[in-house]
Amino acid sequence: MQAVILAAGEGRRLRPLTHAVPKAMMPVANRPILDYIVRALEKNGIREIIVVVGYKKEQVIRHLNALDIPVKIVVQERQLGTAHALKCAASLITGEFLLLPGDNYIDTASIARIMREKNAVLTWDHPYPSNFGVLTIRDGYVRQVIEKPEDAPGFTVSTGIFSLEASFLNYLDETEIPNAVNAMIAAGTPLKAVPAENWQDAIFPWDLLRLNAALLQGVRQERAGRIGASVVIRGPVSIGRGTTIGPNSTVLGPVVIGEDCEIGPNCVVLPGTSIGDRTRVEPFTLIGHSVIFEDVCIGSHARVTDAVVGTGTHVGDHATTFARASVFSIEDELIRAKFGAIIGDNVCSAPFCIFKNCIVGNDVRIDEGKTVSGEIPDGARII
Amino acid sequence: MCGIVGYIGWREAAPLVIEGLKRLEYRGYDSFGIATENGEISVFKKSGRISENGLAPGTLAGHIGIGHTRWATHGVPNDSNAHPHTDCTGAIAVVHNGIIENYAVLKRKLIEKGHRFKSETDTEVIAHLVEEYFQGDLLVAVTGAVRHLEGSYAILVIAKDDPRIVAARKSSPLVLGIGDGEVLCASDVTPLLEHTQRAVYLEDGDIAALTPSRIDVYHDGLPVERSVTGIEWSVDDAKKGGFEHYMLKEIYEQPEVFYNTIKALEKDGRLPMLRIPTEITVVACGTSYHAALIFRYLAQEYSAKRVSVEFASEFRYYTPPLREMVIAVTQSGETADTLTAVEKAKARNCSTLAITNVLGSTVSRSADWTVFTCAGPEISVAATKSFIAQLAVFMGMVNVMADGKFTEILAHAHLSIERVLQEELGAAVALLAGAAEMFYVGRGVFYPVALEGALKMKEISYIHAEGYAAGELKHGPFALLSPKTPVVAICTPGRTYAVMLSNVKEMKARGAPVIGIGAEGDTEVESIVDVFVPVPEDHLMVQTLTVSVVLQLLAYRTANALKRDIDKPRNLAKSVTVE
Repeated sequence: MQAVILAAGEGRRLRPLTHAVPKAMMPVANRPILDYIVRALEKNGIREIIVVVGYKKEQVIRHLNALDIPVKIVVQERQLGTAHALKCAASLITGEFLLLPGDNYIDTASIARIMREKNAVLTWDHPYPSNFGVLTIRDGYVRQVIEKPEDAPGFTVSTGIFSLEASFLNYLDETEIPNAVNAMIAAGTPLKAVPAENWQDAIFPWDLLRLNAALLQGVRQERAGRIGASVVIRGPVSIGRGTTIGPNSTVLGPVVIGEDCEIGPNCVVLPGTSIGDRTRVEPFTLIGHSVIFEDVCIGSHARVTDAVVGTGTHVGDHATTFARASVFSIEDELIRAKFGAIIGDNVCSAPFCIFKNCIVGNDVRIDEGKTVSGEIPDGARII
Repeated sequence: MCGIVGYIGWREAAPLVIEGLKRLEYRGYDSFGIATENGEISVFKKSGRISENGLAPGTLAGHIGIGHTRWATHGVPNDSNAHPHTDCTGAIAVVHNGIIENYAVLKRKLIEKGHRFKSETDTEVIAHLVEEYFQGDLLVAVTGAVRHLEGSYAILVIAKDDPRIVAARKSSPLVLGIGDGEVLCASDVTPLLEHTQRAVYLEDGDIAALTPSRIDVYHDGLPVERSVTGIEWSVDDAKKGGFEHYMLKEIYEQPEVFYNTIKALEKDGRLPMLRIPTEITVVACGTSYHAALIFRYLAQEYSAKRVSVEFASEFRYYTPPLREMVIAVTQSGETADTLTAVEKAKARNCSTLAITNVLGSTVSRSADWTVFTCAGPEISVAATKSFIAQLAVFMGMVNVMADGKFTEILAHAHLSIERVLQEELGAAVALLAGAAEMFYVGRGVFYPVALEGALKMKEISYIHAEGYAAGELKHGPFALLSPKTPVVAICTPGRTYAVMLSNVKEMKARGAPVIGIGAEGDTEVESIVDVFVPVPEDHLMVQTLTVSVVLQLLAYRTANALKRDIDKPRNLAKSVTVE
């Protein structure tokens, strides 16, 4: 069986985090989302994996190269919708195949379930179905996919993971996959609904925090670094090669810390936190329930909770992130969300800043003692 | 990274294994070896590239064979460290890809039991462990042995009078190919492609017994089924892993290469101990020469060292007074001119330091000291990542000379390199694609950067590009400027900024279209040039790196637009081993 993973899209709603990498490469528990999908397929014995890449394709290709699982790469030059993406791979598809979005988490067991079916979709019950393709189902078969309805007829949504036959490729004149699926159903091919075991999506940047915490549950205990005196480590904690945990620090799992990091001394890392490679956390700092990308530096005496911090960002000493709820406008949609801070790549903040439920763009510079809230565009200077 | 190949079937194994190893050469090429079984185990191993050495036909007979091509990271690539490794009796041969982390402990125990080791590698431990367990059944012996191994491995084992190859893998790749009455196995699909379309991928912890007609796979001692998959790859695809060209792949590896080289220097710790004298002569050719020129500027700027840089090919005719240290820079370690230069320096009682990418290459054996760049095998003829790695070594040296003032800056340089990889360059490429000749200009440390940019453009796009010190342009080449000769000008902030701006204005006045490289958000440069290419504002050293990478990308994209054969440009070879 073949599998086609669509990883060409940018994931605009995740901006500013998708400035340098596509959504499929967002790190969750220190591994790109795409990794989890490829591994789940591999565990089910699917070896012929085709990945459609487009937005920032070199980043994806470079990462796939480093895996020891061979994948075939197809380039979608311009992002003209998911159906077009699949069309780019059409010449390589020989028979039945699995179709998966590259930017959602799916577990191994669900893939095993859908592999057994011909013409089926994995479904998921979601409390807020309006952001997804809602399915109307009768007798276990899908009647229609209604994409992002204002009034959802039910809570069952499509995960975007399909088991299909090569004949599906005839319906790809539409721009998006759900429309093509509707066309196929209308033409008389039934589509079975198979409930998924575990599926997770991150639509908005703050969803990464939830996704990260969920996937950290599967973390394996690993201690490769140097751990100082009187360090307390409890629960599942993975520490990468070359990392130093300074004396008197406390790390409470589930936590992942990457390679060549320097934490502490006297730091506290609380559950639900991923810290990327080469990150430095200076003494007397607390981090909890956060996703810290690679090459970040967090100053001393800081408190970073419920935050996503982008690659190469420098958070100054005494910074505080402060979680509360407010309304954001993302791609012309108004959403109320509660989190500490989303900070883009290469941001530099001077000491004594307060991040109050804000989305800070890439390359922003913040002077000392500022209180940042709301949305800050890329490249801004706060003085 | 290393590559392994195995063959069992009805044909002579040795030539097939050699052929397979050549396909895996991109995984490493500093030494190789093969072993066959034909009533007894015969082993042939040698340091050097397999495609240049090869094997005389008929030396190794037998229908069962295993082979290995090595990229040494620990232990020099000499004949005895090359794989396959055998046990004490020479009845068992092993090839291995990966690292055995607990080999020191195992080795000590085995020596206590009376085993004699012939090499310094971790792999030999496996051979002796298998011997320890061997009681007539190779599969049982390997199953027993791998239980003791920690780390990563993909191994192939053959034994005297055993009609099988036993394969095992953990965290290192291994794939089996099923042919017609024959079975092949290798680190990836490339060696299999010519012989079969059917592959079996082993999973972590699998052990497989291969015979010409069947494959038996065991996991935790129980037989398991592993499904057969069709391969639809072409040879080139497999190695480039989705990138259009090796060159692009290597350009994209640069942030990692730079970081790894800097980190390795730090770990190695020899550099601070090395007394760097006040007078240094650097000899190099081609791209390495440009890296050395950059070193000259940086060393002068941040320390009181006097550095002179010479072409290795001219060094034999013009040898400056040599007093203290000669540094030889060569990616392959085999560049003939550079090797001669090292000999000449030694004859004059100078201490010699080699900077090379290939462990155990000729230059590392003849020089007193060797520093390795961690670029990994470079396939594209146009050097990219090896250049960045050489700069990493030179910048590491400058850092040592300046008492570690730049440690922090160098530790973060890979981030800026990463950022410039995102440059689109569409407008610049459109401007250059139609040109027949062009200029690169820069001042100070950016003069050698301009030279290197021009070299890259010449090598792969065949556009006659000339690098110049911006001030020198007025002394002649100005006569050539016209609307048909684009100029790439490096106008990054610093001491050279103001005078570069006035130079650019002069060139614009002669009608030449100008591509300006400047710091992000520099509206002044942006307003006077035709196409503006931003690089992140950073320390001078980091800017030499980012500008170099932008120029590599510019050359690559231009050559791509002109549909040139980028990885194998006409008339050029990867390393020049004749004078």
